[in-house]
Amino acid sequence: MKKIQLKYILPIVIPLFILLLPVTSFGIAQMTLVEQRIIAIFVMATLCWILEPIPIYATSVLIIVLELLLVSDKGLWFTQVASPDLGHLISYQMIMATFASPIIMLFLGGFFLAIAATKYRLDVNLARVLLKPFGRNPKFVMLGLMIITAIFSMFMSNTATTAMMLSILTPVIALFSKKDLGRVAFALSVPVAANIGGIGTPIGTPPNAVALKYLTAENSISFAGWMAFGVPFVVVMLFIAWLLLTTLFPATIKEINLNIKGRFLKTPKAITVYITFVVTILLWLMGGVHGMNAYVVAMIPVAVFSMFKIITKEDLKKISWDVLWLVSGGIALGVGLDKSGFAANAINAIPFADFHPLLLIVGASVLCLLMANFMSHTASANLLLPLVAALGASMHSLLPYGGEVVLILAVTFAASLGMSLPISTPPNALAYASGHVETKQMAKVGIALGIIGLLITYAMLYLLNKISFIG
Amino acid sequence: MEKINIICVDDEREVLDAVVHDLDYFRDLFNIEACESAFECLELLEELDAQQEHVAVLISDHVMPEKSGVELLTEVALDNRFLGTKKLLLTGLATQADTIKAINNAKLDNFLEKVWDPQELLQTVKELLTEYIVEKGLDYEEYIEKLDAPTLYRLIKY
Repeated sequence: MKKIQLKYILPIVIPLFILLLPVTSFGIAQMTLVEQRIIAIFVMATLCWILEPIPIYATSVLIIVLELLLVSDKGLWFTQVASPDLGHLISYQMIMATFASPIIMLFLGGFFLAIAATKYRLDVNLARVLLKPFGRNPKFVMLGLMIITAIFSMFMSNTATTAMMLSILTPVIALFSKKDLGRVAFALSVPVAANIGGIGTPIGTPPNAVALKYLTAENSISFAGWMAFGVPFVVVMLFIAWLLLTTLFPATIKEINLNIKGRFLKTPKAITVYITFVVTILLWLMGGVHGMNAYVVAMIPVAVFSMFKIITKEDLKKISWDVLWLVSGGIALGVGLDKSGFAANAINAIPFADFHPLLLIVGASVLCLLMANFMSHTASANLLLPLVAALGASMHSLLPYGGEVVLILAVTFAASLGMSLPISTPPNALAYASGHVETKQMAKVGIALGIIGLLITYAMLYLLNKISFIG
Repeated sequence: MEKINIICVDDEREVLDAVVHDLDYFRDLFNIEACESAFECLELLEELDAQQEHVAVLISDHVMPEKSGVELLTEVALDNRFLGTKKLLLTGLATQADTIKAINNAKLDNFLEKVWDPQELLQTVKELLTEYIVEKGLDYEEYIEKLDAPTLYRLIKY
């Protein structure tokens, strides 16, 4: 009972306490009132995302509203009283615009593609066709399942992909004997592949989108540019995960027969979906040729599917607004830290420059991995990315290692690698609910993949920097 | 966490106790209510609605004095406040006419015969509960340990 109370009390009391402290008590020279309020909001967000007294998307909305009330140029009257310590109030338009930032639009486009694909059974039919070449040997069927799950999760939400693949898999797992460890391997293969697959594209998982927000100007990465390193990373990780699962939990069953019913729909609407899907992805990949960036391309399926009534009024309601708002809140938090001047100020005040840059990269990514195992991947990215982006931009000692891009990407990848517990991600929770996996087994695989994944991330970033792809 | 109720209605106390006992599995996350008549159930529904609690599954016997199970379920089916509520008729004594009414008017979600198999009842309620939670957009992760995984996989799309 006490614990439940704390979860509500802490996120209220601690930020209030921070608000009431005198500005001088923070030990940062020239700290302003606006910066102090931003700290309070940041602390509240951290506590709310960790303790979850309210849904995580509600925390995001709260961040935006509190910023509007406390630090915007159209906020509550007493927050705007002129004083030498006040600092820069942020334009309310800029804060509200986070709801419709280009990154949100990119995700909206991704949702439209995913909803249309599911509605016109493109996902199940593709899974059926793509699984065929993998035969019936359990080992290879599993490899096929993982590859397909990963590919789908690059464009659909990891949760939806997991649910779809597990529904295909459930009747098959039921045929395994109780003692056959293959059950565990199969049940785990899907969430693992979905988590890893999300890393492959900018729209694969929300943390990637949050990262894009901080990869701007000379650091910007195009859709194809992201995939150029994201997909090889996914391939390597999938292969390792497959080896790990087949070694740890070998299947004794000799043959597996996945029976997926259905055929490709051939109605005009379905064909419109197929064409739009392919064209959008091609446009994303050829960003350099046609001049449209990924954000602009993402609006095309939104228009096409609405025009042809492929996404109807009812379907519109099924869009995961909670995910969009969760990301918006993260962006707003970043805007607050940046525009208030706090990010720059704090980094000047704390002697980060004395740290070895590699220590910083490893430290930040390990912290993110730990957080992502216990809380939402997106919330972890929302909290850490604005900090490391500001830090990376100001640290010149980081430059030989690739600069802030390396730091941002390491943290972003780490956010997706948190998958050792049922509570780490919704895909894990779904697989755990199947009843075929024990927490211990999930932890074994998740921890191993988390550590291996981070090491491969470092190696990849090192290589990318060597060939001057980034930095 | 939202309060989610499972209501059982049967005029015979022993049978009612047996149903409630078979649903013990859900007790730690859901609230199981027992009513001895259709009227008691309707009163309870009013109360739960006033508290804005969810009624996920309504399990009713058919042959009861004053108001039958099919009549009760029909009333609930027509009541806008309980649009998503899953209705299960548990009876051994339903004529064909009753059964037709139950399907056409009460829009049953499930029909189990007395004497029931406790496992089957449990599984059925599990599936109905999962459907209710997903359809209502409640946070399924909070209840996931008591839900039916295959039903979840089928329904989670976005």
